[in-house]
Amino acid sequence: MADRPVITFQNITVQFDGRSIFRNVDFTLERGEFAYLIGATGSGKSSFLKLIYRDLIPDEGTVHVAGINVTALKERHVPELRRSLGIVFQDFQLLPDRNIYDNVAFALEVTGKRRGVIKQRVLEVLSMVGLSHRRNNMPDDLSGGEQQRVVIARALANEPQLMLADEPTGNLDPEAAHSIMDLFKQINNRGMAVLMVTHNYDMVKRYPYRTVKIQDENIIDVGM
Amino acid sequence: MSLTYVIKEGVSGFRRTRLASITSIVALTIAVLLVGLMARFGYNGYEVVQTMKESIEVEVFLLDIDSGRTDRIAADLQSYPIVTETEYVSKDKAEEIFREEFGAEGESLADLNFLPASYRLHLTPDANAKEIREMVAEVEQFQGVDEVVFNQELLETLEERLELLTMAGIGIGLFILFTAIVLVFNTIRLTIYAKRNIIRTMKLVGATNGFIRRPFLLEGLIQGAIAAAIANGLHWLLFHLVIPYYIPQFGVLSWPMGEWYYLTGGMVLLSLIMGLWGSRWAARKFISQTAIG
Repeated sequence: MADRPVITFQNITVQFDGRSIFRNVDFTLERGEFAYLIGATGSGKSSFLKLIYRDLIPDEGTVHVAGINVTALKERHVPELRRSLGIVFQDFQLLPDRNIYDNVAFALEVTGKRRGVIKQRVLEVLSMVGLSHRRNNMPDDLSGGEQQRVVIARALANEPQLMLADEPTGNLDPEAAHSIMDLFKQINNRGMAVLMVTHNYDMVKRYPYRTVKIQDENIIDVGM
Repeated sequence: MSLTYVIKEGVSGFRRTRLASITSIVALTIAVLLVGLMARFGYNGYEVVQTMKESIEVEVFLLDIDSGRTDRIAADLQSYPIVTETEYVSKDKAEEIFREEFGAEGESLADLNFLPASYRLHLTPDANAKEIREMVAEVEQFQGVDEVVFNQELLETLEERLELLTMAGIGIGLFILFTAIVLVFNTIRLTIYAKRNIIRTMKLVGATNGFIRRPFLLEGLIQGAIAAAIANGLHWLLFHLVIPYYIPQFGVLSWPMGEWYYLTGGMVLLSLIMGLWGSRWAARKFISQTAIG
């Protein structure tokens, strides 16, 4: 169980609107591994992530995430899968009418955790991303880099085994982007697997990890 | 899940789509008020019909028979469940009635001995024309009975009108209710659209559809509660101030089943159910369609 990969795609085929996106794709991401997912616009990078958090079901093949057979998962158990993942998007997706503390706490509220447990964990993850002092601010008061840190804190709140990031530095200036990448590096160093979709090849060079390219409906491992 | 969260989100959804919420409250109010009016007028109409039906008498005219036979006929008549009372009208009493009703004209007739003795039957208000016809057909066969008379035409007309009014009332009521539910559905759909980014975020962090849905259900309930309060207020104003002032001969029409709380409670319940139903329909349909990515 401990050695089982955190993501396993077996023979995945996906068609969307009559167009083939993936054909017989196999992929694994080991526990604690960091990997980039690259590819041309429209190649299927976001669809790849959707297969993991079950916003898309493959036409053929099976997806296992953190020991869960995602393809066979009943609809009512999908929220449980998502709680075991940390998901970070380019567009932050913070709740605009709540302060930073409440935004992070929300990820724990939906799981029905007690207030005391929530408070302890929220302060812990805010401290991890260096934003404890901003906890009473509203999202609009924060810079893009800070907002993305809040999203990362929220993603960490449920102690996921895997962090999915869809172009997390896409909306940030280079300095903020580097600080976010440093944060992901720290998170990975703590043993959490990270799968990051990116177009930023400079960043890939600067932070070298396994890189996987989507091309011609398949996956090519292009190394470090 | 915290109740504070549900209330906060439910109220915020209401504020976010204020215009659409007001539209659906107005629609719900009109629907509930119309149904309340129909219920109150319908009930009073029903009471009038029942009173008229109670006044319908069946008269059983007898041949010249001895008192023993007359008593046996009375016993047989009382065995019918729809007969509440049998009143014997002797030949002398019939003569007296005739003279009262026809006055001087009746007095001019020297001998009124031809008038037969009879039984007047009082019937239960829920006796229908078919049951009465069947009873009349049987009574006509009784030995010693000459003829049975009752105002069949009036009874059938009353029954037909009541049935027609009931069917029309139910049809119109259902149509009004359906329209109101569609408007609530549409309002909640707009609220869900306005909050689609928040719904995405909720799904992202693993909120269940039930968790996401609850504030929207509360929003529907709030709309229903406001509409119920307004509709009941208007109903009271109409029946206790407007109608007695402008149509004093109507007076204050009676409440269905004699107490105010049956209809008022029914209107509140109906409004809440419609608000909840419309919002549940929209929430179930559109929340599951909101994708994360």
